[in-house]
Amino acid sequence: MANPKNGLVRTGIVGLDAVLMGGIPRTNVILVQGTAGSGKTLLGMEFIYRGITQFDEPGIIVVFETNPDKLIRDAAAFGWNLKELQEQKKLQIVFTSPEVLDQEMRSPDSLLLETALEMGAKRIFIDGIGLLRHASANGGLMPLLGSGSYRELLQQVIEGLNRENLTAMLSHETGIIPESQLSLEAAGFLADTVIQMNRTMRNRRCYRSVEIIKSRGQDYVGGQHTLQINDGKGLQLFRRVQSPLIQESQPSSKAKRSMIGVGALDALMGGGIFDGSTTMVVGISGAGKTVLGTQLLREGVLKQKSRGLLISLDEHPAQIIRNAETVGIPLQPLIDSGDLHILFESPQELDIDAHYSRICETIEKNNIQRMVIDGMTSYSTALEDQGIYRDFVHALVSFSKYRLMSTFFNYENPEFLGITSYMPNFPVSSIVDNIILLSLIEINSSLRRCLTVVKSRGCKHEFDSREFLIGQGGITLLPIDEDPAKKLPLARYSSILSRAPTRFPFDGLAPDLK
Amino acid sequence: MASDEAPAIQARGDLEMLGISLLCEWDVLVFLHRHGVILNSEGQIARLLGYGKSAVASALDKLESSGLAQRSRSSRGIRLFRFALPADSRSGSFFDLMNLTEQRSGRLLVANILRPRTRRELAEQRDGLHLL
Repeated sequence: MANPKNGLVRTGIVGLDAVLMGGIPRTNVILVQGTAGSGKTLLGMEFIYRGITQFDEPGIIVVFETNPDKLIRDAAAFGWNLKELQEQKKLQIVFTSPEVLDQEMRSPDSLLLETALEMGAKRIFIDGIGLLRHASANGGLMPLLGSGSYRELLQQVIEGLNRENLTAMLSHETGIIPESQLSLEAAGFLADTVIQMNRTMRNRRCYRSVEIIKSRGQDYVGGQHTLQINDGKGLQLFRRVQSPLIQESQPSSKAKRSMIGVGALDALMGGGIFDGSTTMVVGISGAGKTVLGTQLLREGVLKQKSRGLLISLDEHPAQIIRNAETVGIPLQPLIDSGDLHILFESPQELDIDAHYSRICETIEKNNIQRMVIDGMTSYSTALEDQGIYRDFVHALVSFSKYRLMSTFFNYENPEFLGITSYMPNFPVSSIVDNIILLSLIEINSSLRRCLTVVKSRGCKHEFDSREFLIGQGGITLLPIDEDPAKKLPLARYSSILSRAPTRFPFDGLAPDLK
Repeated sequence: MASDEAPAIQARGDLEMLGISLLCEWDVLVFLHRHGVILNSEGQIARLLGYGKSAVASALDKLESSGLAQRSRSSRGIRLFRFALPADSRSGSFFDLMNLTEQRSGRLLVANILRPRTRRELAEQRDGLHLL
């Protein structure tokens, strides 16, 4: 559907205009529906406030039940000075009753519309349009259809507002009683744009979301998008993670390969990895995933001039920096120079849409070329929903590929010795291009670390399992047939990745090493 | 002068400064202040406040003539009513009284000062007395 960019009214609400592909067609009547506490009044207030302050469009707020004093007080918490706007005659908050609004809209000399004209209002927000159903002459509920019905009254209201070229936003409470649902249905049918606001409980915490149900004359991004109410700022909408990227062009499938920076690993991968590829590093806790991750980022900055981003739900930046220091990987200088960024968010109240948005914003703002996510297990634990988890990983992969970034996901495999599957919980191995296994193996009475490249799309990679050490500077792969520790190299064993490595018979050498 | 009479003397002075002589007038003024701009009929405002229509109409007349409120033209009985406190010494009196009446004791004090003195005043204000 064509997007009438010229006639779009921008709401000014962070994230909402992006979901609406730029805004709402100017003549559209917008219905905002939702339960109590879902943020309807706030959305309407911000629509008016942003209209005045960002787009020089004076506005009117009509309330039936809310005390305007309280609206002004609540707006002040977001830093919006409505009182000042009223004094500047850019805003008018009108307290009235449904009966009077009904009468006003039928009257040719409406005082409300006269006021709108006088102040040059371009926007109007009527809070609680459902109350108009109680505006019948006898005080009872209006009929839903026919002459003198609620539907007819709404049509009159919409006509009256359109006559004055006002972009109208109407809020309607979603009640559970059938009467309320019927009046909402009528309003939803007449409105051009319907915005559904939800407030639900997820794991005992409040979750708000917004869905565009319909919007005549334009495209929009469907589905439920996360809504946050931020003190001192206002509303912020985050596109659902799985919504397709809105990009002007498709990414080129670049054949360029970049070195990872860990010499032997580059060799194992068949000469580095393709730009835009994604790599899953799988291993049990303590196998060396985080060390490898920080090493990859540091090497990326120093050798590839690639700015890096480390995302963690487990460890605080200070802790990550300290731990990296202990293995001789200084991160602080890279952070100070702006070449490395660490994004930490607690998994306790993870809002995945908002989190994803912050990741994308950090990448775009800092031109990140290499990203490590440490680790994926915390996401699966925090999200508890395999579908959302997969959507998130898909979105990250899609976004990083579009930007031709090299992305590394650390996944904690729960199996201690030997593995039977890459990702027993929330498997996404088919999505990624490369898989590196970091394993602990028990030989004689000692545990040794071992690295195996098990998948590398488009590359002739080696399948050798290689022993590695963690020391100053990160991980170092030991030569295939040489062991400085005077132990037998892994090449002299079979079944390294099983739970029972077995030494070759004969003279202790693998057949091809004889 | 006893010190416990001071608030009453202060309140009496503030009410005189504003030209408020009836509790209904004070309540209408506060209602206008809280709502800023009201699009309604006098009858509905009276119902919202719990007073008789004529008492509210008289109060609005008085507030308008003393410059504390503005009224638009009438459109089939509906008007835009605006709170319009002038930026003079009356402003201080108004907010002093607002602060005082936030407490129940303060409201009772003001109500006592503005208690009806005639049968007619009593009849007019009777509907609003439940607000105490």
